[in-house]
Amino acid sequence: MATFELYRKSTIGMCLTETLDEMVSNGTLSPELAIQVLVQFDKSMTEGLESQVKSKVSIQGHLHTYRFCDNVWTFILHNASFKNEDSQETVGRVKIVACDSKLLSQ
Amino acid sequence: MADTDQVMEPSIDNPFISSPALHPRPTLQNVVSTVNFGCTLDLKAIVRHARNTEYNPKRFAAAMMRIREPKTTALIFSSGKIVCTGAKTEKQSLTAARKYARIIQKLGFDITFNDFKIQNIVASCDVGCPLSLVRMSTFHGEFLVYEPELFPGLIYRMKKPKVAILVFPSGKIVIAGAQKTDEIFEAFKNIYPVLMSFRKTK
Repeated sequence: MATFELYRKSTIGMCLTETLDEMVSNGTLSPELAIQVLVQFDKSMTEGLESQVKSKVSIQGHLHTYRFCDNVWTFILHNASFKNEDSQETVGRVKIVACDSKLLSQ
Repeated sequence: MADTDQVMEPSIDNPFISSPALHPRPTLQNVVSTVNFGCTLDLKAIVRHARNTEYNPKRFAAAMMRIREPKTTALIFSSGKIVCTGAKTEKQSLTAARKYARIIQKLGFDITFNDFKIQNIVASCDVGCPLSLVRMSTFHGEFLVYEPELFPGLIYRMKKPKVAILVFPSGKIVIAGAQKTDEIFEAFKNIYPVLMSFRKTK
């Protein structure tokens, strides 16, 4: 089953990739197993975000750029405010990459 | 001389009707144009490298690109032809089409700016008073369609210039199908006295 590899670009994903690369290069892990770990990471991230995350954030800002290619949306917002029930944070520049979850089940 | 205290009577002699300087003026709302860049375009490459572009080949065969100034949207086809919509004047439509050409050119395609043509100009206007569409439809039957159950506006298809005019009971009208800005104003000049003679007098 295909997975969305976009979560590998997050901080935790990058750390995992780095660690796995280290282990593969000093022989403790086989490359196939490393790929299997990453695929499992993709699946767990998707499943975790879907079922275990309940909070809702509203993002508002000036849309500087947008792109829709290969069913992936990329947005760049300027002066975006991330609003939560209790907190709000403003960020000068934010890049949002979004994939259609319906495509996973195809 | 126009007597501004005069009560407006529905007659051709009324200076507000006969002197065009006192007419309301239609405002251009949309200009649609097409141009041929003269070479096949790789839409996948364009959407990957240009900003503010969308391409969903499953839904529509063209890439949609937008620029902020003039505020327009372009449909870019792989044949090299593009449709530019959203401009407010003919000149803006040309400027926008040239900007899209420059963007695509910068991506490495060999662009020529061929056959630029304004395809459609849309304008709206308010004649200022409510109109009786029912009365109008009984008099000018040949050019018009009025079916209130289908569409609340009356559709007047003028032969010269060849435009369609949507007339609404509020007195607001839409003129569409013109290929030149002058056609819009000419159409309005033709239709204004007709509309004024069908004012709602209640």
